[in-house]
Amino acid sequence: MTSFSRAVSAPVIYTVLAAGALITLAPFAIGLMTSFTTADQFNTGEPLSFPAPPTLQNYTGLADAGFGRALVVTALMTAVILVGQLTFSVLAAYAFARLEFPGRDALFWVYLATLMVPATVTVVPLYLLMAQAGLRNTFWALVLPFVFGSPYAIFLLREYFRGIPADLIKAARIDGANTLDVIVHVVVPASKPILVTLSLITVVSQWNSFMWPLVITSGGRWQVLTVATAGLQSRYNAQWTLVMAATTVAIVPLIVLFVALGRYIVRSIVVTGLK
Amino acid sequence: MANRVRATAVGYALLAPSLFGVVTFLLLPMLVVGWLSVHRWDLLGPVEYVGLDNWRSVLTDPSFATSLLVTALFIVIVVPTQSLLGLAAAAMLARSLPGSGFFRTLYVLPWICSPLAIAVLWRWILAPTDGAVSRLLGERIEWLTDPDLALPVVSAVTIWTNVGYVTLFFLAGILAIPTDIQDAARTDGANAWQRFRRITLPMLRPTLLFVLVTGVISAAQVFDTVYALTAGGPQGRTDLIAHRIYAEAFGAAAVGRAAVMAAVLFVLLVGVTIAQHSYFRRRITYDVV
Repeated sequence: MTSFSRAVSAPVIYTVLAAGALITLAPFAIGLMTSFTTADQFNTGEPLSFPAPPTLQNYTGLADAGFGRALVVTALMTAVILVGQLTFSVLAAYAFARLEFPGRDALFWVYLATLMVPATVTVVPLYLLMAQAGLRNTFWALVLPFVFGSPYAIFLLREYFRGIPADLIKAARIDGANTLDVIVHVVVPASKPILVTLSLITVVSQWNSFMWPLVITSGGRWQVLTVATAGLQSRYNAQWTLVMAATTVAIVPLIVLFVALGRYIVRSIVVTGLK
Repeated sequence: MANRVRATAVGYALLAPSLFGVVTFLLLPMLVVGWLSVHRWDLLGPVEYVGLDNWRSVLTDPSFATSLLVTALFIVIVVPTQSLLGLAAAAMLARSLPGSGFFRTLYVLPWICSPLAIAVLWRWILAPTDGAVSRLLGERIEWLTDPDLALPVVSAVTIWTNVGYVTLFFLAGILAIPTDIQDAARTDGANAWQRFRRITLPMLRPTLLFVLVTGVISAAQVFDTVYALTAGGPQGRTDLIAHRIYAEAFGAAAVGRAAVMAAVLFVLLVGVTIAQHSYFRRRITYDVV
């Protein structure tokens, strides 16, 4: 409810909103179109014409450039980080929210303080640590820095867990449940919305991550999609139809996720304010 | 007593994995940044102590000054523009006309996509000879290699990516303003502009601060977009600080110098965050759900 927009008529608003939608979608649409166009048609045909006939040759070209492996590595990396982050964040958040032990509050402040540590600043020292540990260009190097939980997730989960009625937990205790039982059978089922939110945010940010995989991996072995796309673009600068197929492969899985769960994603962004 | 010991043991057992992660991958790296900044390392050979040489050379290096200046300019272009556009979009969406939810969701699309892939997409669209824009216009424009155009263009791509995200927060803020205040103002004869200026805008202050501060912090760390669009060029005109740190460490293999730059960036960002907290502490809060 805003007073300002009352002054503007609905047709004007729709026109502006539609223009915004066009500006948002047009780059994706022409990129997608180009990915189904033959190099011949792209170079000699009318600019931005529909693919005639549509071809998959760019996508088969990607397979030859190792994109199949990159897709698998990216999916695996995202999955491992997702499971690790959720598990370890839930455990830590429960300890902070529901247990009393010496040092708890001090530690929580340490966790909070790390929220101020920017990823850009840690890339260089993390690289040194990984190099010293002999983990350069390994799958471990991709996941280790993120798999042990995220302070921000712990912070959000702690807030949520504090809202779970104490009676629920007490009842389970009386039935003989230990701490792990309580977490698995009471706390997790009661926290589905926030867990869905955190999962979505983690998948989106890990699937898209670029700087860390770029510096810590080399060659095709542990290359993720973003790194493969950047590499392809610098090697085949003129073969735009191939490059557009690469960006499509990097983007489409998230667009599918978005079409399926768009409303949840929007809500998740507002809840977490993430990044 | 035994109970207390047990609770402590359980508490630390639950914290153990994340504590290991926080210490090893967040706190230790901060110490290592300081340590590296007084050492020389070329990524492969031995690490060698050099005292304050890196600090001296970075702080007197014109390319570092350029990078800081370019980053500041980038922030000054991107953050206010995306906030204004986001506010305007939110004001229109807040009217809740049929289809508003569709537009709101659609606008977030660029933001959830890989910034690297988005940058590669735009690199083709803006390519001087066979790019989409040049071919449509039938005219060769050096969007990314003209020293005067490159930074505005990189900024525009960033804004295009972020507007939908910013819109979400303004929309949530506007929808949380109690309608009775607006109605009372209307009864008192306030026109639309006066109500926007005197009610909506002041009540959006917390949202506005959030959007501005997070906008500054994330704009100060943009990397993927520059990496794929311009690689910092032409003549360093788009050499944002995150890209400079990367190029210094992994291009020039001057890791000690990169650590100095990272330390400077950290101090600047902590400054922004502290400023944010003192603002937010003083802010008036409304019932924002």
